[in-house]
Parts: sequence; structure tokens; C-alpha cells
Amino acid sequence: MDKNRQGAKASYVAFFVFVAIWILSPSFVRMGTREAFVEFQAPALHLVAKGRDLARFWELKSKSAEELAAASRDLARINAALELKVRTLEDIRQENIRLRELARYAAPREFLTIVARVASRDSSSWWHRIILRKGRSDGVRPGCPVVFSDRVIGKVSIVHLNTCEVDLVTSPNFRCTAYLEGDEQGRIVLVSGLPANSLGTARAKIAVIPMDYLPSAGQSPKVVTTGMGGVFPAGLIIGTLDANIRTTQDGNFKEGTLQPSRNLFSLQEVSVLVPIHPAAGEILLEKRYEDFQ
Amino acid sequence: MSWSWLIILLATYPWLFAADLLSDWTAPWGFNVFVSGAAIVLPCSRLRRWQAVLFSGCVGFLFEARRPIPDGILALALVAVAIFLTSNKSLLRSTPRLLRASLIVNLVAATLWFSAVALTLGQLSFRNLGDFLPQLLLQLIASALVTLILFWPLSLSQIAALDHMNAPLANETP
Repeated sequence: MDKNRQGAKASYVAFFVFVAIWILSPSFVRMGTREAFVEFQAPALHLVAKGRDLARFWELKSKSAEELAAASRDLARINAALELKVRTLEDIRQENIRLRELARYAAPREFLTIVARVASRDSSSWWHRIILRKGRSDGVRPGCPVVFSDRVIGKVSIVHLNTCEVDLVTSPNFRCTAYLEGDEQGRIVLVSGLPANSLGTARAKIAVIPMDYLPSAGQSPKVVTTGMGGVFPAGLIIGTLDANIRTTQDGNFKEGTLQPSRNLFSLQEVSVLVPIHPAAGEILLEKRYEDFQ
Repeated sequence: MSWSWLIILLATYPWLFAADLLSDWTAPWGFNVFVSGAAIVLPCSRLRRWQAVLFSGCVGFLFEARRPIPDGILALALVAVAIFLTSNKSLLRSTPRLLRASLIVNLVAATLWFSAVALTLGQLSFRNLGDFLPQLLLQLIASALVTLILFWPLSLSQIAALDHMNAPLANETP
């Protein structure tokens, strides 16, 4: 019994020493530990996600020939319409390039699109995240915007070897600037995720709304990205502004709630927009990661 | 057996992964299915102290790895609990005691990581207690329910693995 007590005491002392070492240890030790445990779990995550894809494949394969023929006919019509649109847009793009050259206007950031399947979703009151089956080996970098069609889904927060974690628009870590539909002066508002009540719907906050901004009656104005800050391209839809706009305590601005443009936890596939030329901040992040390696 | 902790970890991992899959399903409601605290109790009753410490640390890090929880908070808390439990194995001698201990450890661990993240985000203050406490309560109710549901299957798989390795039953000395 005494031996047990002595052993317990020694263990507690060793534990507190280890805690002190852990707190004082350089960040690469903690990052390395985290990374090791993420990579340990990655194969299981991939296996389950691929299993889901296989189940979906067999579900689709069980459809009748008539249904498939109808779907392919619809797709052919959509393709024809899109081809026409692409040609029109190509003319506009050429003209845009010419005008930019004439005006010596700085070219906007160009993005490479990486389509990624959603492997898992995770949420609590303090975070709303999805995990994608694309990572560092596929060229994904921290800070890259994640979209679905022309809708903003979130931003890549952490990148692992074959997976990455995305902070959704409603996650408290998410921040971006936006324009409100119907604001003729194009004033900038700030969108930031909110800690959500469990059982409630996840939402984000729109702050710094000008006092004289009045949305059209009976309409939920769209909230779109500004393109400033170098993360999101301009004109992407973040969501809509809820009707209950209130004045802030200091009385200088109004604030409201953002309703995300999609049910963020039902997505199966998203696109990661990777800037072709990394921004200065990204270069610093990469350098830090190389130092860590 | 020196590798008992690793074998029991591999036997427990499918349950931790199943909890992650359930978290995927409960994501729209903002709940996290947390069972890591309950998963360390039964092995602590039969593993040696150092083995229980390694096992508990790994279980904690597995939960933390993909979540924005401050590094090491849960893992170190579970290690401290493992030292306490292996030093007081008499607390884990019967099934009702094991169930009670699983519930307590899971709730304490859930409170710890939930509060740690809130603190990091600046949401844990006297002004925000009205918002924080109901959310914590809901997460704790979910964690308690998950413990009650998963205790039996989790225990059975862990007992099978421990029996296979001839790990001794709970006794006074660790």
C-alpha cells in the first residue's frame, strides 16, 4: 500500500514536470505531435469517405436506363447553353485584358480550382468545420477560399498531407469583408462567424452596417465578397442578411445576422481556390512550415 | 506485456472513430459526440500505471488532433485522471463503479475541453456566463447519453482485448 502511495506521488511529480516541459516546449513539438495524430487517423477517414462514394456509385448504378437517358439529355442541353456562355465570356475576358493593359490596372489574383470531396463534418458551439480529402500533396494551402459554385463556404484553416480542415462561414474564426446588395455607395461591412447555440442554426454576424442603409421591404439582401484582403475573389455570395437589423450600443452603426447561402453541413463536394501566385502572408506561412519540417 | 497499452489503444480506436462518425451526423445540431473520457476508465483498472498513462495520453491527443482545442489540454487532463485511477483501483472494482467512473471522467473531460476552447475564443467571462452555461449543459447531457449508450459495447471490446493479453484484474497495487 505504501509502495502504491509512493508510486502515485512520484507519478504526480513526473506529471507536473512533464506539463511544465510541454508548456515551455517550442511550438514545433506541439505541432509535430498534433500532425502525427492527424496522420494516424487519416487512412480511416479516407476509407470511410471512399466507402460512402462507393455506396453512392452503386445507388446511381441501380437507376434504370430510362432515368439515365433523361439525365444525360438534360445535361446535354445544359452543356450546349454553357458552351454559348463560355464563348461570350471569352470575348469579354479578352476585352477586359486589353483594357487593363491600356489602363495599367493591377490584375486581380488568379486562382487554380481544386475540386475536393467532403470527408467529415465536425461542429460544436465553438467551431464549425469540414474536412476535405485534398491536402498539401494536392497543392492546397492554408488560407485558401473554399466555394461551392458562386457561394462562399469557408476558408482552409489547417492543411495536412492528404486532408485539410475548413473553417465554415459560421465558425467563430471566420472573418471577411463584404458588400450589401442595394447599397448604392458600396460601403464595406464586416462578416464574422458566431459561436452557435447547440440545437440552434449556425449563423454569422454582419457588423459596421451604415446607419442609413435600408434593405428593400420583403427582401433578404445578398451579402457578397469585396475581393479586398486578397483571400476571396470579388462578387461571391456569402449569404443573405436577416430582416432583424439592430443598432449597436454606441449608436454609430447597425449590425445584423447572416443566413449562410447553403446548408453548410449537407455539402458533398466543394472547390478550393488556390491562388496561382501566393500572397506575401502565404509565403511567410510556407517558410515557417519549411522551417518546421 | 509492454505493448498492452498499444493493443488496447488499437482495440479502442474503432469506438473513438465511430464517435467521430456520429459527430459528423450530429454536426448540424452543433453537438460533438465525445466518448474519450469514458474510454480510458476500464483500461485504467487493469493496465499498469505507465501503460495507462500512455494509453490515456494517446486517446486525448486523438480527440484533440482535428479540433481547435488548445494543444495538450485534454491529453494531459486524461493522463492526470489515469494516474489517479491507477492509484485508486479499488474505485473501479465492480461494473456499477466502472460505469459511475466513466460518467464522471467523461463529463469532467468534456467540461475541460469545452471551457478551454471558450477561453481561447474569449467567450468565457462573467458577462457571457448566461450564454456559456446552457451550451455547456447541453454538451454535457449529450456526453452523458453517449457514455450510457456506448459503455457496454466499449467495455466488452476492451475486456476481450485485455483478457486476450492476460492483463490482471483490478487489485490494490498498480
